[in-house]
Amino acid sequence: MAIQMKVPTVGESISEVTIANWLKKDGDVVQPDEIIAELESDKAAFELPAEAGGVLRIIRKAGETVPVGEVICEIEPNGKAAAPEPAKSAPAASAAAEGPKATGEVKEMKVPAVGESITEVTISTWLKKDGDFVKLDEVIAEVESDKATFELPAEATGILRIVAKEGESLSIGGLICRIEVMEGAPAPAAPKANAQAPAAARQESASYAAGHPSPAAAKILDEKGISPQQVKGSGVGGRITKEDAVKAEVRPGGAAEAKPAVPAPTGDRVERREKMSSLRRTIARRLVSVKNETAMLTTFNEVDMKPIMDIRSRYKDKFKEKFGVGLGFMSFFAKAVAAALKEFPGVNAAIDGDEIVYHDYCDISIAVSTPRGLVVPVIRNVEKLSFDQIESEVIRLATRGRDGKLSIEEMTGGTFSITNGGVFGSMLSTPIINPPQSAILGMHNIVERPVVKNGEIVIRPIMFVALSYDHRIVDGRESVSFLVRVKEMLEDPGRLLLGI
Amino acid sequence: MQYNVTVIGSGPGGYVAAIRCAQLGFKTAIIEKYDTLGGTCLNVGCIPSKALLDSTEHYYNAKTHFSTHGIDIPEPNVNFGQMIKRRGEVVKANVDGIAFLMKKNKIDVHHGVGSFVDKNTIRVTDKEGKESTITTENVIIATGSKPTPLPFAPFDKKRIISSTEALVLKEIPKHLIVIGGGVIGMELGSVYARIGSKVTVVEFLDSLIPTMDGTMGKELLKVARKLGIECHLGHKVTALENKGKEVVLKAESKDGKVLELKGDYCLVSIGRRPYTEGLGLEKIGIETERGQIKVDDHLRTSVPNIYAIGDVVRGAMLAHKAEEEGVMVAEQLAGQKPHINYLLIPGVVYTWPEVASVGYTEEQLKSSGRAYKTGSFPYKALGRARASMDTDGLVKVLADKETDEILGVHIIGARAADMIAAAVTAMEFRASAEDVARMSHAHPTYMEAVREACLAATANRPIHL
Repeated sequence: MAIQMKVPTVGESISEVTIANWLKKDGDVVQPDEIIAELESDKAAFELPAEAGGVLRIIRKAGETVPVGEVICEIEPNGKAAAPEPAKSAPAASAAAEGPKATGEVKEMKVPAVGESITEVTISTWLKKDGDFVKLDEVIAEVESDKATFELPAEATGILRIVAKEGESLSIGGLICRIEVMEGAPAPAAPKANAQAPAAARQESASYAAGHPSPAAAKILDEKGISPQQVKGSGVGGRITKEDAVKAEVRPGGAAEAKPAVPAPTGDRVERREKMSSLRRTIARRLVSVKNETAMLTTFNEVDMKPIMDIRSRYKDKFKEKFGVGLGFMSFFAKAVAAALKEFPGVNAAIDGDEIVYHDYCDISIAVSTPRGLVVPVIRNVEKLSFDQIESEVIRLATRGRDGKLSIEEMTGGTFSITNGGVFGSMLSTPIINPPQSAILGMHNIVERPVVKNGEIVIRPIMFVALSYDHRIVDGRESVSFLVRVKEMLEDPGRLLLGI
Repeated sequence: MQYNVTVIGSGPGGYVAAIRCAQLGFKTAIIEKYDTLGGTCLNVGCIPSKALLDSTEHYYNAKTHFSTHGIDIPEPNVNFGQMIKRRGEVVKANVDGIAFLMKKNKIDVHHGVGSFVDKNTIRVTDKEGKESTITTENVIIATGSKPTPLPFAPFDKKRIISSTEALVLKEIPKHLIVIGGGVIGMELGSVYARIGSKVTVVEFLDSLIPTMDGTMGKELLKVARKLGIECHLGHKVTALENKGKEVVLKAESKDGKVLELKGDYCLVSIGRRPYTEGLGLEKIGIETERGQIKVDDHLRTSVPNIYAIGDVVRGAMLAHKAEEEGVMVAEQLAGQKPHINYLLIPGVVYTWPEVASVGYTEEQLKSSGRAYKTGSFPYKALGRARASMDTDGLVKVLADKETDEILGVHIIGARAADMIAAAVTAMEFRASAEDVARMSHAHPTYMEAVREACLAATANRPIHL
């Protein structure tokens, strides 16, 4: 009896996942707990382990989006596949017996020197698993430096023993893995070839030449300073034909025909292509969908930061002494926002089908920039937190974000977001809503500007603030008033104390 | 400056470089020491040897195969004088053709020995000793190579001869001794074996045509023996002497056995060495290494405006390799970025059957540890070969064990020299053995053997075996 594997519940509010990648092919024999696929939700990517050992039967293809609870594949237990058909299992067994032999030698793979000024790298993805059979020069991992991502080829043929885990940072020369060197060809090659669809096999065998330019194409590309990796070959098996090379000049979106008069540039014009990380793809997909699926617009205001800055300079030492954490602007903004959200519950609500979900609590998502991309961890029940609790929570979440350790739970379920482009020097921006939320507050840099107070021009530290909101649920009156309330409380923090 | 580019030497490297330069709009000159253009290849190499190879092959067929074909003729005679004369006519037609091409492309031909005065000035001294001077922005050195003599027995050009003399002999040798079982030795050995000479080949290594795939050497040994050529492999020549009416050769096998041979001529074909005499390289600081001019990947010498191509630089001494390099330098000078894939320059031996090969040899793949598979197909099983009675030989295809990409093609058999071009095409496009096997090959043709060998390499499933 085949075991049906369903999309697991991966977190509240996640109703569907996308199959990013099947790591095993239809018909492959899989072991229990072996990772067979990579799934993506709108929050994060995760791996799908096999629930049993046996022969994999894929039902939903890579790229398909599948609701939680639906069947994505079946696993036929070994017993069924092997026992009644000894003929089928025999070749596999004998192939294994004739397979590679260990030589006893162990190759230690260390981080290569990848470029001047690069002192450490991070293992971004293991493409092979611990215990896998790897071939010489086969790419086994993707490694990231602060400059670029590159592929790590196996330095020997044999069994991979992973030392450095994914996400781990190593300095140049650090031990990445060991390969127990073996001689001979990998056993699974033969069964794979005759077991599965010949079409797939042929496609695979053609791919070794993908990106190989024909002699004329090679000359043309070199003269244009385009590397073959940047060209998609239209020839058999992805080979680059002369036509591909001639057309490679045409930049996507550029008006190519009009260009020949322009003299050829003389400097280096190297381009680099990297696969989008799963996180980046998720961000990209979601941002576009927000733009498409909401009626988003932005209202602006300016905040005189002098009162808050005065409080900070007056109390920051005492605050730090008492709570062990610095007094930043985020706590003021979070508190002001929480108070304003109480007054304008629409801004704190979400649309769910035909209904509006109002939240009587304020879970504020804070946008944090990490080396891997933007993440938005959530500070829960901000309305009940004290200033120091907010500040320590911000630091905790930001640190976890930077280390790539945030859990899905920590990033799920915010009711409103705050993003601070000011840390990078932004004067003004229109942030994009973090769905299913209805609004987001954008903070910006604080600049001394001439402003008029009581008929006099004075210099004040000013921050522009922006509120992007979903006009489907929040009207202009509410959104503008909300932002004005935030402004009032920040310019007169006493109001925060009194709730007026 | 008078010229944008001046080419020294008018062999296949030099004259092709000159034509390509002219095509690209450069004012071009070419300097040639001899009276006729074309260099070794056209005058005393490829072309005349092929003329004699074809003449003698016709004679050999008339004598040995015609009756089987049903053609009864009286015993044919060799008119050696006519063979040599025709060979001369073939050469003349070719070198005249080059002279025409120079004129057509408006390339100035300067006859005489070119010698550097400085990096932009070349003095040309003609036969009468008259000197003239050329100024030029760029120079391409294409002075080629000369046969290497034995250190203890220089060429006397009478009995101890090089390929040059072997192509203009006055008589058919009774016993031609050939030192060196490489391309030149086997070709010229075949010429004389076919028209009645006793031919004995002495080779230092353990195989004929030792730089090619081992299977080719083995098969060539079989067909050479069929032709009556005696081959002594693994023999080191220790002495060679012209005794006036005969030459006496002494050689030693690895186990110390002494071989003594007496013949009327001895062809020394142990290789060729780069020829740079009289160029005055040292005067302008062009570096050499064991006689070869040192060049970088762009064929540039240690003097930036001077390039060198063909036999005077590293790589195989082949006319078509020199041609590719000539084109490459010319195009580089025009700012283009051409490529040469040196692995895919084919090698050919014009014995009959011919030997031709491209890519890696099985020996190279073994020593590099690459996992490969082989597929072979014999001419014997080929309808076309049976029809023409050319059943000697085989095609051997080497392919990557995992990807099935063709890594080497080695052919010994009728028309191998022309067939190898198809293998070069396939390999330039990185075809797999199965790719070639799935392309339609006309029937009946010799190329079917290549397809069958590819089928054999793919999954050991040739149709006609």
